[in-house]
Amino acid sequence: MKRLALLATSVAVMASVGMAKEIKVGAVMPMSGPLAAYGQVTYEGIQLANKIQPTLKNGDTIKVVLVDNKGDKVETATATTRLITSDKVVAILGALTSTNTAQTIAVAEKKKIPVIASVATNDKLTAKRKFANRVCFMDSFQGEVIANYALKDLGLKTAVVIVDQAQVYSLGLAKAFQKAFKNGGGKIVKKIKITSGDKDFKAVVSQIKSLNPDFMFLPLYHPEASMIARQAKQIGLNKPMFSGDGVANKTFIDLGGDAVEGYMFTDFFDYSAPPTEKSKEFIATYEKETGKKELPSFTALGADTYFVLVNAMNQCEDPTDSICINEKIKATKGFEGVSGVINIDKSGNATRSAVIKVITGGKAVYKATVNP
Amino acid sequence: MDFTVFMQQMVNGFSLGSMYALIAIGYTMVYGVLRLINFAHGDIMMVGAFLGYFGIAVLELPFGAAVVLAILGSAALGMLTDKIAYRPLRSAPKISLLITAIGISFFLENVFNVFFGGVPRAFPVPAYMEKIIDIGGLTFPVSALMVPIVTLVLLLAILWVLFRTKYGMAIRALAFDVNTVNLMGIDANKIIMIVFGIGSSLAAIGGIFWAVNYPSVEPMMGVLIGLKAFAAAVVGGIGSVAGAVVGGFIIGFTEVVVIAFMPELGGYKDAFAFVFLILVLLFKPTGILGYDFDKSRF
Repeated sequence: MKRLALLATSVAVMASVGMAKEIKVGAVMPMSGPLAAYGQVTYEGIQLANKIQPTLKNGDTIKVVLVDNKGDKVETATATTRLITSDKVVAILGALTSTNTAQTIAVAEKKKIPVIASVATNDKLTAKRKFANRVCFMDSFQGEVIANYALKDLGLKTAVVIVDQAQVYSLGLAKAFQKAFKNGGGKIVKKIKITSGDKDFKAVVSQIKSLNPDFMFLPLYHPEASMIARQAKQIGLNKPMFSGDGVANKTFIDLGGDAVEGYMFTDFFDYSAPPTEKSKEFIATYEKETGKKELPSFTALGADTYFVLVNAMNQCEDPTDSICINEKIKATKGFEGVSGVINIDKSGNATRSAVIKVITGGKAVYKATVNP
Repeated sequence: MDFTVFMQQMVNGFSLGSMYALIAIGYTMVYGVLRLINFAHGDIMMVGAFLGYFGIAVLELPFGAAVVLAILGSAALGMLTDKIAYRPLRSAPKISLLITAIGISFFLENVFNVFFGGVPRAFPVPAYMEKIIDIGGLTFPVSALMVPIVTLVLLLAILWVLFRTKYGMAIRALAFDVNTVNLMGIDANKIIMIVFGIGSSLAAIGGIFWAVNYPSVEPMMGVLIGLKAFAAAVVGGIGSVAGAVVGGFIIGFTEVVVIAFMPELGGYKDAFAFVFLILVLLFKPTGILGYDFDKSRF
């Protein structure tokens, strides 16, 4: 009997060693639609990370299955369900924007599949969720960084906030900023609401011009923020403008043209100041693969979701055990990622630094790093 | 709100309204002859904007030549959709036509999405159009002034074609009864094609103006604009060209006024535009300048 058991064990061990499995990991990204600029650069990071580290330490290979959510809420839920039920993925990366990530999390939570969000910063995203994680900072931190920077470093005391009421990201970031700005002694002159998809903001900028604030805070995504900047310039509204990570991409500068000169925003990472050894290596690989030196921050964060996931999977005896993976993700401490050192707490939130950038000469130029 | 701000908002409304008007004319003309709500119209506008973009950015044509290219391309596309998609369904129930139109709309959006991607592209605006005019604190770019002027000129041109030319007479006759017009020895299909050509050219001009004022082009840009232009056509009285222009201005002004007077509710400006549409339809089901559908058109 003992012999038989031994034999069975050794066969099992041999089987698991001899036959490296292919493990599927899902990625839900907006590859088309209005948010495609985010999805494409983020997925580039995941792909490159997958190329750098395609196997687990036990020899299993990881395959990333990508589904396009077109930047749409409903499509995101469908895509997530598809990945879990028909592709049998062990974890899901992405969905990018907070609104869509909330959908992915809602679906994955029921199926007990961990999600790692790359850039979804809304505070409430991980609340009361067991399987939600992220590698980015939260809006409460981002809002505070911007409010403090405007008040203390730039000496701006009055602000107009333009909020996109269709995006939880925008509402959350606006709220966090308002709280921090008021506490710091600033004054919100007016809050103007818009809806994503709008193109005409002439009425909005005309209104702001008559209010004459010290600066404008635009917790928006790049399609709207760039149009506002352009139309503000057209009517001669030359106040400083500040956004969150929603405009941290090249498309924003393309769309805004010279109207976004001097535009400031918070970001996660800057290639000119690589925070870790891994960033340097990754930037070198990125340059070799694409010929570009400027590694976008979303690409870095996309890569980090993958590396954090692989790190967690390596710590699990069975790398397909989603519950174990989830626990290990939440135990990520001092992990050297591409975008910086990442710590993830029990609730799935990451603690990390932010950088402030200013658009100068058609390029986002690094200005300062703010630590939590 | 002082006088300058008020006037500034009026200029904004005027410029926005004329763009809706240009696109609404296409809806109304096609509806007039075929009783078809051509849902692909907004997407033809998108194609026009894209052609303009390619003319300037890729082929490096001067702005005027790019506009001509966009007009010709869009007109050809409009006539082609008529020939391929709508003509075989002339005698089919109206609902089949409507569904075909929605199909064409999705087709165009997705074809452009596949080939050009969903990332918005920056439209290269000629410098002279972005030049800022300043009249006593009232500031606006040249393009904002050009749009209403071009719209009014085109409106007059279309009214002239409709009421002073033989083709116009044929178009108006078609609005009454396609079969009878055929019996009179007029090639109804040819006239319908001309209507699609005119409507699509206007959509292309509207699309280029849109891209000049809001310099980003992407495959889904036609959806919301098309919907609002359609609302404009209905408010003004669908089937009436002058009504479409009036409707366009009304929708444009409604949006601006909502933001100007109720910035807190600015995000709901589209809702206001559509509430306005419902109100008009409640009290005047044929729209402001609309005719009784059984009698006359245009």
